[in-house]
Amino acid sequence: MFPQLADWLTDPANWTGDGGLLQRIAEHLRYTIIAVFGAALFAVPVGLAVGHTGRGATVVVGLANAMRALPTLGVITLLSLQFGVLKVGPVLLGLGILAVPPILAGAYAGVQSVDRAAVDAAAGVGMTSWQRLWKVEVPIAMPLLLGGLRGAVLQVVATATVAAYVGLGGLGRPLLDGLRVTDYPRVAGAAVVVALLALLLDLGLAGVQRGVVPRGLRLASGPRSPRRRGPFSWGGNRLVEPADQAGIRS
Amino acid sequence: MIEFRAVTKRFPDGTVAVDALDLVADSGKITVLVGPSGCGKTTSLRMINRMIEPSDGTILIDDLDIRSANPAVLRRGIGYVIQQAGLFPHRTVLDNVATVPMLTGWGRRRARARAAELLELVGLPTAMGRRYPAQLSGGQQQRVGVARALAADPPVLLMDEPFSAVDPVVREGLQDELLRLQSELGKTVVFVTHDIDEAIKLGDRVAVLREGGRLAQFAPPAELLARPADDFVASFVGRDRGYRALSFVGADGLTVHPLRTVAVGDAVPAVDEWSLAVDPAGRPRGWLPPGSAADQLTEDVLVPGGSLYTQGGPLRGALDAALSSPAGRGAVVDADGKLAGGVDAAEVLALLSAQRDGS
Amino acid sequence: MEDLVKYLGNPRNQDAVLELLVVHARLALVPLLLGLLAALPIGWAAQRYRRLRAMVLGASNVMYTVPSLALFVILPGLLGTKILDELNVVVALAIYTAALLVRPVVDALDALPGHVLAASTAMGYRPLRRALTVELPLAVPVLAAGVRVASVSNISLVSVGALIGVGGLGQLFTEGFQNSYNPPIVVGIALTLALALVVDLLLVGTLRLLTPWQAGRPTARSAA
Repeated sequence: MFPQLADWLTDPANWTGDGGLLQRIAEHLRYTIIAVFGAALFAVPVGLAVGHTGRGATVVVGLANAMRALPTLGVITLLSLQFGVLKVGPVLLGLGILAVPPILAGAYAGVQSVDRAAVDAAAGVGMTSWQRLWKVEVPIAMPLLLGGLRGAVLQVVATATVAAYVGLGGLGRPLLDGLRVTDYPRVAGAAVVVALLALLLDLGLAGVQRGVVPRGLRLASGPRSPRRRGPFSWGGNRLVEPADQAGIRS
Repeated sequence: MIEFRAVTKRFPDGTVAVDALDLVADSGKITVLVGPSGCGKTTSLRMINRMIEPSDGTILIDDLDIRSANPAVLRRGIGYVIQQAGLFPHRTVLDNVATVPMLTGWGRRRARARAAELLELVGLPTAMGRRYPAQLSGGQQQRVGVARALAADPPVLLMDEPFSAVDPVVREGLQDELLRLQSELGKTVVFVTHDIDEAIKLGDRVAVLREGGRLAQFAPPAELLARPADDFVASFVGRDRGYRALSFVGADGLTVHPLRTVAVGDAVPAVDEWSLAVDPAGRPRGWLPPGSAADQLTEDVLVPGGSLYTQGGPLRGALDAALSSPAGRGAVVDADGKLAGGVDAAEVLALLSAQRDGS
Repeated sequence: MEDLVKYLGNPRNQDAVLELLVVHARLALVPLLLGLLAALPIGWAAQRYRRLRAMVLGASNVMYTVPSLALFVILPGLLGTKILDELNVVVALAIYTAALLVRPVVDALDALPGHVLAASTAMGYRPLRRALTVELPLAVPVLAAGVRVASVSNISLVSVGALIGVGGLGQLFTEGFQNSYNPPIVVGIALTLALALVVDLLLVGTLRLLTPWQAGRPTARSAA
């Protein structure tokens, strides 16, 4: 299997041209970026608001957990049947729903992670609620917030293969087409490309996440030092964020 | 001047944290709120800058009802220091201190210059301005917190157990710093602590609050020690009241006797009484017991001395020096630490009774 | 709506749906258990031996980042199974779960109060016994949080697997879509949610049973 896979991956014809891997990668990324961006437009303000005011946490947490359990394939097929196949809307909506919980958790956990004494002092020196949020809480929350975004991107990249099922593009196309005609090198090739794409994006976002840690926090040593990598670093990947463990799911 | 008029705070679960508090904190003085946990001292403090809103009653700062001001604007005119410092970890020390000036619209450069002045004022090297809070020790962080509170030169300073989280040695240093700053700046300070000794040391007037948020006594520390209003205050103030009250009694008229001295390295004199060994600068090093068998005076022959009484200090220091000395006579030093003579415990007590008779 | 009632009223559909539910539960939960069992010794070793730690955490991060669909497809080449073999799916998800859970195991062990461990060693516990009877129980709350997330994750992944033909409730989605028929999809969504909820409640219940000393506390918090 592997030599055939290698042949398939190194054949330029599979990359260029209509329906080639490059096009599919571009489509795949387009779905991902739009879905994550849309989810962030909703989830970041909500997460920040809940974390900042401390109100509405139970409702929002419940909502996030319910969204997490929603099967994306089910949502997308249902919506496609309602609004028409080959429409991008259902796919983007389904992927957006997938992306909301990690981003929400990241924003919430980020704001909650700010030292309570610093927030109290911020109020005490005369910052308004808005100023407290933007000058103190958000800068310190950035790593966890970005961790949430990173997790969302990875989830969506992994699941955007679904788009092909309802007739759209993306890396799901060669995967599903290859399955249908039992062209296993193509299937495996698509799988490998998706995996590599996910890994590269994760690496890149991990770098951004590290870069966004305020210098003053990087210098703090000890178990809270944001120097850890891996699925759980600052809100980590996909579903697993410290927020989950810390109470957003309890 | 800060005035509490029948201020009450009731929490939603029914607890009454502050009960009809009437208090006036004089301008330019340090007013300490002290009491056991649950006495409402922190709650009272936080009502001054509207971090907590009173349920009943009014608080006035310089005759202006605080409710008439926008909370954020009010707080920019009040310095606020809390126990864990609450420094912003993502900003440099300098930017932390410059926070309020920048909030009130000073330019960044002007605010930072002011911040640098303040770092010096609280006894920190200006180079520290470039560091981040995580790199500072607890004591240093507290100083930065005080600097931040003073940056916009507010007339009022609120301090909520600011020195409780540091070790005793550092705490004493910070307390002395505060007294020094106050002598320079003359702010209206409201200071909360659970430590009665800190309250007595720092306060111009001390308010003792009891559980349930009621005022038990509001008086200068000397009066608190000499005439506690009731059993609660007496027990809260603690033991050795009489002794500690001596901190407020002057030592005018106390005789300082000359002391037999020897220098380290000299031959041991053959005498029947204690001698005080001094170093070349004249500072006490220890006592030489009478009838010592050694020939040469070396450090290990000496018996360590008791506390030293600095001239001009309160009578308590003189009594302690006399009581703690192995020779029965306390060593008195001048402002430079040079030996000035000795004091007797009996004469301290005689002076005390003479003062009482005379007053 | 009446389509839905008609669909559910048909006993043949009921049987089919039930069987899909059972398969789905099996495909999601067996790997959960296997993954946990694998993650425990791996995580324990990584936490104990500094040199292993970075390597293990890095490897598990990579394994976890690779989309599971890709794993489903690539594993057969390595295992010699077919893509749709249950074994293939179970192994792939077990690897996935293990990769996900290694980190919480390490975190949980990191967070163990040092004085408790020291006390148990001083009382004469040997390493293995201490690991099983002292460290493990204390690590349960943090682990439980990770396991809960892994369970939802697995349930979701099995349904996505329907794209390539994996069994389970996902097949209701593909069936409904192919026939342009809503009811199976709606039933599929509802049952997936229900399954996730039930499993989560069971896990929380198990957590409470295993950690009676946490009874007074509001939630289980992690060491993050």
